[in-house]
Amino acid sequence: MGRHVVVDPITRLEGHGKIDIILNDEGGVDRAYFQVPELRGFEKFLVGRPIEDAPQITSRICGVCPMAHHMAAAKAADDVFGVECAPTGRLIREWCYNAFTFEDHALHFYFLGGPDFVVGPDASKAERNIVGVIGKVGVEVGKRVIAMRREVREMVTTIAGKIIHPVFGLPGGVARRVSAEERARCVEISEKAVEFALFTLGVFRDVVLKNEEYVGWILSEGYTHKTHYMGLVDSDGKVNFYDGLLRVVGPDGGRESEFPVREYTDYIDEHVEPWSYVKFPYLKKIGWKGFAEGAESGVYAVAPLARLNAADGMPTPKAQEAYEEYFETLGGKPVHHTLATHWARLVELLGAAELMLEIARDPRLIDEHIRNIPTRTPTEGFGVVEAPRGTLIHHYATDENGLITMANLIVATQNNAARIAMSVDRAARTLIDRGKVDDTILNKIEMAFRAYDPCHGCATHALPGHTPLWVRVYDAGHELVQEVRRDRA
Amino acid sequence: MTGRTLILGLGNELLADDAVGVLVVRQLSNDLADRADIDVVGTPEHGLALLDLLIGYDEVVLVDAIVSGAHEPGEVFEIDPTELRPTPNPSPHYAGVPELLALGERLGLAMPRGVRIVAVEAGDLLTLGGPMTVGVRRALPELRRRVLDAVGVHAWS
Repeated sequence: MGRHVVVDPITRLEGHGKIDIILNDEGGVDRAYFQVPELRGFEKFLVGRPIEDAPQITSRICGVCPMAHHMAAAKAADDVFGVECAPTGRLIREWCYNAFTFEDHALHFYFLGGPDFVVGPDASKAERNIVGVIGKVGVEVGKRVIAMRREVREMVTTIAGKIIHPVFGLPGGVARRVSAEERARCVEISEKAVEFALFTLGVFRDVVLKNEEYVGWILSEGYTHKTHYMGLVDSDGKVNFYDGLLRVVGPDGGRESEFPVREYTDYIDEHVEPWSYVKFPYLKKIGWKGFAEGAESGVYAVAPLARLNAADGMPTPKAQEAYEEYFETLGGKPVHHTLATHWARLVELLGAAELMLEIARDPRLIDEHIRNIPTRTPTEGFGVVEAPRGTLIHHYATDENGLITMANLIVATQNNAARIAMSVDRAARTLIDRGKVDDTILNKIEMAFRAYDPCHGCATHALPGHTPLWVRVYDAGHELVQEVRRDRA
Repeated sequence: MTGRTLILGLGNELLADDAVGVLVVRQLSNDLADRADIDVVGTPEHGLALLDLLIGYDEVVLVDAIVSGAHEPGEVFEIDPTELRPTPNPSPHYAGVPELLALGERLGLAMPRGVRIVAVEAGDLLTLGGPMTVGVRRALPELRRRVLDAVGVHAWS
């Protein structure tokens, strides 16, 4: 089963996401595969380069979440040199990191989840895009989103050097101080960010929660998987994007393990399937039992849905209220509904904004001592952050001169790969009947993976504006019977 | 904002031929150093992030490596942005130029009146740390000349 898959060379026009659907003799779905093309060789490319360069190099893995790679690598570089990040350096890193998370989450809700929930899953193709979302929420809201993003990005650019490819993270701290004027501006922007997040949660209540059909979709079996969940928690067990221990909870919500990233290889292993480039991480203590749900399967999920399930709460008061409302409405912890990820993301949006404000108000943010200079001989280091799309792990070993001898990166979408594959398969099985795949069905299958906001790790720009999705339907004899190329709409 | 015209090179220097957009703007920065009305910028960003870069200019020339399948690798050609119709995207990270222009106009932002896209057919956009392919490397002077033509500057060398 599934061994027919042709691995096409990936070009800018095709191949971001491919779904292969294999039908059975009755025209129902035998199995659906979601392919994520992966850029190979990054880990090899890092070998021989100075560990201090890893934050700059890895931020070029992809144009979507450079800050997450920059930060994971900077933290791993701290660890390689055995140096603690200076407290003010950490505050500066954390302000930027929360600002990045805030901006990324906002973008996702308005422009990515938007076509599904704001415009609606059954809307016509022509409306299900950014312009369609603006048409629905209004030009003023659209302007507000663009302006908010711009302000946050400008401030991050000031502090981090560049928004894309930040250059501020160094072993032991950061490269540049924050001035008193800049701190005042950070406070101002953070206050606006909190207001913006509260407003956005209001939009979600009005547009999604008041629409029974949408709520029905969120709660439906086709978009539900009872898996394990993993996320970083702080010393109080609260969600933290920048640092903490990795906590795993079971499908019943019970805590199963909590470990520092240094021990990740004791807890996580990777499974290889012949039909995919992606290695599927799973919980080592349970083992790989296939693409299966439940306590007996090692499949786990990361990202907003998982983080809220894994943690005891949010570290800030308004986000904590939003967290409680989320679980009360959805029937308690844990929430297994994939589409609830959109709501979980907004709870985090508010949490990130509140943390931005908390950090900006901390007078230590403008302290002169921003970096502890490393003095020890470099060896091996681990860095972990919660990227918007989930847990991101960087692991390096170096020689005594700090030149990288080994690099291993486990990226967010990879952590989610097994559950994404299950979600696409489930949605296809639920929706496809007698082998017919039309645009509405295709969109509902896409919704299954779009909730995860999978990042395909490519630096492609899709300049022609083509849609990176390609669905191929095969009959029971593995003959291609239908092809839907969304890049030729 | 200092200039009315923007030359925007797109690309990732670590990805073989994808570097070409960024490399050519480096040369163009020298060529156009004394032109206060023309800004020359290279970026690996894509999607919605490009919107911020386009706002406020009258004219924009985009330079990029593309796999169109309709040209030989290294061939330089121009794409008419009006022929690139907006399509529904599953991700704003990959939002294309037509979407950005449509969005900017819908929001009443100061979008450029004219957008030209000068492209070079790529041979390899995926080998990490890979060198540019021979065809694309040889196309650099032609690409530079075509961009200068697009902004009305005659290239002497």
